[in-house]
Amino acid sequence: MSKLSSILDLEQLHQRLFDDSDHEKLRLVVCAGTACQASGSNGIIRVAKKHIIQKDLLNKISLRITGCQGFCEMGPFVLTEPQNAFYPQVALDNISPIIESVLDDKHVEELLYRDSNTGKKCSNLEDIPFFKNQKRTVLGANQKIDPIRIYDYIAQGGYLSLAKVLSREDPDWAVEEVKTSGLRGRGGAGFSTGIKWELLSRQPNGKGKFLVCNADEGDPGAYMDRAILEGNPHSILEGMIIGAYGTGATNGVIYVRAEYPLAIKHLTIALGQARDLGVLGENILGTGFSFDIDIVRGAGAFVCGEETALIRSIEGQTGEPRQRPPFPITKGIHGKPTAINNVETWANIPVIFRLGAREFAKVGTKGNSGTKIFSLVGKIKNTGLVEVPMGTTIGEIVFGIGGGPPGDARIKAVQTGGPSGGCIPVKKFDLPVDYDSLAKAGSIMGSGGMIVMDENTCMVDVAKYYMNFLKDESCGKCFSCRKGTQRMYEILDGISKGEGTLEDLDLLEELAIAVMDSTMCGLGQTASNPVLSTLKYFREEYRRHIVDKRCDALVCKELTGAPCQATCPVGTEAWRYIAHIGKGEFEEAYLAIREPNPFPSVCARVCNHPCESRCRAGESGGEPVAIRALKRFITDRVDPGAYKPMRLVKSDPEMPRIAIVGSGPAGLTAAHGLSLMGYKVTIFEAEDRPGGMLTSAIPAYRLPREVLQKEIDSLIDENVTLKCNSALGRDFTLQELLDGDYKAVYLAMGAHKSRRLGLEDEDAKGVHPSIKFLKAFNLRGESLAEGRVGVIGGGNSAIDAARVALRQEKVDSVTILYRRTREEMPAFPEEIEAALEEGIELVTLVTPAKILSKNGNLEGIECLRNELGDYDSSGRRRPVPLDGSEYPIPLDNLIVAISESSDLDCVAGSGGTEIDTVDNDRIKVNPKTLCTNLPGVFAGGDVATGPSTVVEAIAAGKKAAVVIDRYTRGDELEQPASPLVPKVYIEPGAPVDEEIEASRPRQPEISAESRRRGFDEVELSLTQEDAIRESSRCLRCDLEFTRPNQDEAEKSTAESKPA
Amino acid sequence: MINLTINGLKTSVEDGSTVLEAAQFLGFPIPTLCHMEGLEPYGACRLCLVEIGKAPNTKLVSSCTYPAQEGLVVRTASSRVLKARKMVIELLLASCPQSKVIQDIASAHAVNQQRFKQEHEDCILCGLCVRMCKEQMMAGAIGFRGRGENRSLGTPFDVKSEECRFCGGCMYVCPACQLRCTFNEPEKAICGGCQNLSPPCVEEEKFDDMMCYMAPCVACEIDKA
Repeated sequence: MSKLSSILDLEQLHQRLFDDSDHEKLRLVVCAGTACQASGSNGIIRVAKKHIIQKDLLNKISLRITGCQGFCEMGPFVLTEPQNAFYPQVALDNISPIIESVLDDKHVEELLYRDSNTGKKCSNLEDIPFFKNQKRTVLGANQKIDPIRIYDYIAQGGYLSLAKVLSREDPDWAVEEVKTSGLRGRGGAGFSTGIKWELLSRQPNGKGKFLVCNADEGDPGAYMDRAILEGNPHSILEGMIIGAYGTGATNGVIYVRAEYPLAIKHLTIALGQARDLGVLGENILGTGFSFDIDIVRGAGAFVCGEETALIRSIEGQTGEPRQRPPFPITKGIHGKPTAINNVETWANIPVIFRLGAREFAKVGTKGNSGTKIFSLVGKIKNTGLVEVPMGTTIGEIVFGIGGGPPGDARIKAVQTGGPSGGCIPVKKFDLPVDYDSLAKAGSIMGSGGMIVMDENTCMVDVAKYYMNFLKDESCGKCFSCRKGTQRMYEILDGISKGEGTLEDLDLLEELAIAVMDSTMCGLGQTASNPVLSTLKYFREEYRRHIVDKRCDALVCKELTGAPCQATCPVGTEAWRYIAHIGKGEFEEAYLAIREPNPFPSVCARVCNHPCESRCRAGESGGEPVAIRALKRFITDRVDPGAYKPMRLVKSDPEMPRIAIVGSGPAGLTAAHGLSLMGYKVTIFEAEDRPGGMLTSAIPAYRLPREVLQKEIDSLIDENVTLKCNSALGRDFTLQELLDGDYKAVYLAMGAHKSRRLGLEDEDAKGVHPSIKFLKAFNLRGESLAEGRVGVIGGGNSAIDAARVALRQEKVDSVTILYRRTREEMPAFPEEIEAALEEGIELVTLVTPAKILSKNGNLEGIECLRNELGDYDSSGRRRPVPLDGSEYPIPLDNLIVAISESSDLDCVAGSGGTEIDTVDNDRIKVNPKTLCTNLPGVFAGGDVATGPSTVVEAIAAGKKAAVVIDRYTRGDELEQPASPLVPKVYIEPGAPVDEEIEASRPRQPEISAESRRRGFDEVELSLTQEDAIRESSRCLRCDLEFTRPNQDEAEKSTAESKPA
Repeated sequence: MINLTINGLKTSVEDGSTVLEAAQFLGFPIPTLCHMEGLEPYGACRLCLVEIGKAPNTKLVSSCTYPAQEGLVVRTASSRVLKARKMVIELLLASCPQSKVIQDIASAHAVNQQRFKQEHEDCILCGLCVRMCKEQMMAGAIGFRGRGENRSLGTPFDVKSEECRFCGGCMYVCPACQLRCTFNEPEKAICGGCQNLSPPCVEEEKFDDMMCYMAPCVACEIDKA
């Protein structure tokens, strides 16, 4: 490499390199950023090299190894030039077909990137939403450059910005340009770079001045600086050299953390090459201007990112901030004027001079010009580095580029700015990302970390995590920062363990504000942000930890116990019966199931099994334990007589009488609970038989009638009187119950009124509300459907109606119409699957627009096609009907199953007592005590919550029994909660083979053929062998809480030994 | 001379003065713990907070380290200052309840509750001893080690210091434990000395004379109780 002696030399070199580089040359580009290296790009490079050499392709195709290109989720990935095809997550065997395809100018179709949201194949890099929606001004260069080759950089126009500045021979012009560009510091505080340079240039020049590149990137989850350092080090050097020329600085320092070995390596190589080429060091490009740069390695203290601490660290002292003023710009390294800018700021400088300051300022918003790189991590589909213009909304970044959540859990918030930043809730996702808006929302831009959090992230835990980080990383000089962060951690830790009090929240807030106010440097002044922002937006979560002792995200261990138990509304110890099954103790297993749940056989069939959704075995790619199938195995096998309920009180005719309206799961469970406590209960049921929705809505093929009947019968004992065919409002009034000798009334009428579509002619003959349709069949055996049947809705009720219709004799075809996509249907996935198997057609993304009828008879329905539009607050894309897309669907029957509500006419105004309702849809209750506004009247189940699940109704019934008991005794209704964690120790069996652990058994079913017309139960029981094997997959989360302490065990054995 | 306004009073002070010095010159009381005349200001205890600037862009700074600047507007006892200061005192009390100096400050500022988990530490890391040792005794035998909650005082790597001359300067200035007779043994390095003083120095026959004259000697008091 010969030294360039003039600006012209450099320009000629660029021209030569540019001309020489054959733009049509075939090339394989492999990302070798740190993330891709971790996922195996080194192997890819090795195999590619071997292939090229062995096949003698050296003259035909070349290989470029680049730094991080940003799409880290897809690593290791390969790009091809000139096709610009993108191959994600490449395996070693894929290399040769890819190389061959490049030679033939083709694509390897099956290896191309597929957009997981639309399923579309993207043959070109620019088609991929992740890249398409970005503006990669700085990061884009990484793809074109091998970071250890300065010629690559120069071929791309590198150092030409420097040439432009030097040839002007006017340092002030350079400073003025940066000022005009409006560039603000990318390290987080957002101070104008141009003004900083101007201040430095005005400092007396006698003793020398310093420029520093702050590459001490320490925020958890942020690595954009690393990508530039590793992938394009020359852009930083060029920026600094331009800065030195403009400000008259004589020395440059890059302060880079020692944890970035690849960055240090690439920087060192780049510095050497730049010096050899004459763009750095003495007499740069023959202009007489001299400037050199040293690398200083940081020893890993987070606080050294703070400028005064960084200066002390460079000087060789403890990295500890000091009072400003004097600011580094007047008194910095060794007392000399010093300007410090972040890596990304420096990398933007060449861009400004390449585009021109005015052009640069056009990108972004006023006062926030240019682009910003964010590292998008956490609960997001497309993890990686994202560069967008300032002012892009968080929603666009998270959903548009990030692709939304990776699983079913909804996104709840993003955390920006690292430990000094705050959390921004999903309802504020239309916030534009710029310095000022984020600060207003209680967070900061910071260096650009963006951690996405979903419902499975506990905000208390997040605050605790950051406080833990900060209490270690505070330098410790300011007493209030050192002790304040420790104390905040201590309080948060207490809350996460269920030891917190509501006063703690006030203290936490008070302390957080005091720490913010009373500390010296930026670390302390922003340390409270994680606490304050979570308190501001997620206070309810804190209260839930403190008052209810529950962590809904199932993160705080002490409040979660075993996730299966924690998610079960009735608190079933699933881990316990699974452990019993594993040991062949089936009767014990039945007891564990029956004790908390009076409907074990029902739940074994129709429960929505929230336990499985959060089973730890199902995390990180595995499959959850088939808990419901195991429950089914036990309830099918064990005689219910094994369970002898504990009667707390001997039957006593003097015990108070309680009235229960409705005999669904909520009513029957409450009656059973009260009966066990000795109360005399009367249940009033409007229909001719008990069971509520279990009988009238759930079809027999899911829940056989004899199973249901047996379970209901077992609950009606001598303390319980059942009165069928007596409906509230028709046969008696609420007032009559209250006036009678009932001590309390529990309303559990459910939600039996189907919501209407709100379209004209909805009452045409042939249109049926789903509940009416199901009741007619399940209670009276009437088949209302015939011919072509349409079902509108996507919930379980819609699927039930569709499957029942299909089984009716005169029905030819059944079509379900739903406005969103299949993934978003609220019905159980296995039910949808079963419906499709049976031959039901599913049409998604349609909105019913008009009911087509003639002479009051249904003829069909006109639908609009929908397109997925913006993201709504739930993070799902809104279905937007397309204008002019109307099309008719001819139908003979239409079943409307969009939702249910309660028929509250029966309680309205009966005898002068007005009960409070929510929108006249459901009864208003205190969810903790089930109290209505009327004394002695309680309500639970669907009538109080709106349509929900069976197990929720059972839980409401259990709660009602407890609360009504307290009420009749005159006790306080609401009592302090305690954490629900496993308490019984069941010794684990012997460990099992790895092989077994992977497979979850599929519950046996009768064939789709044979079930199409019949009402035989579809799902069958597991075999004993399968059940025992499946139980061995349980990870036994309970043991952590129940296993006897080793020390204690030893102690007790030692004590029992005679001395 | 530099002109500035403190609590509404205009004053001028010499170049290089701190806000604390200016306020004290005017007679405004500002509590301090880590400040001592003759030692370089450090700004660790955060008791001497004052509010500077014009509303709404005001901020709190430690007056002992903040240089007096032309036109600066200072409030030494605004509600924001008092609130933050009270919290700092409460934190101090939660860590070092036995220190008479801290108790007195708490009492003077009507801090009469402490809502955190009680600790009994004998060091608030104010750094007076470090600066005393280095700046007045010209020894530099002790310093800070570690950071964050692991920050502690002592000799590098807990190796016995050859610089220490047993001058007791560190003990003399300590506001937290009042007595820090630690000999220069690594295992008894600067903090944690109090517990070893049962009647200190003399009884353990290390010295022929009593090594400190603090009254009351907290260690002795604890022993009596």
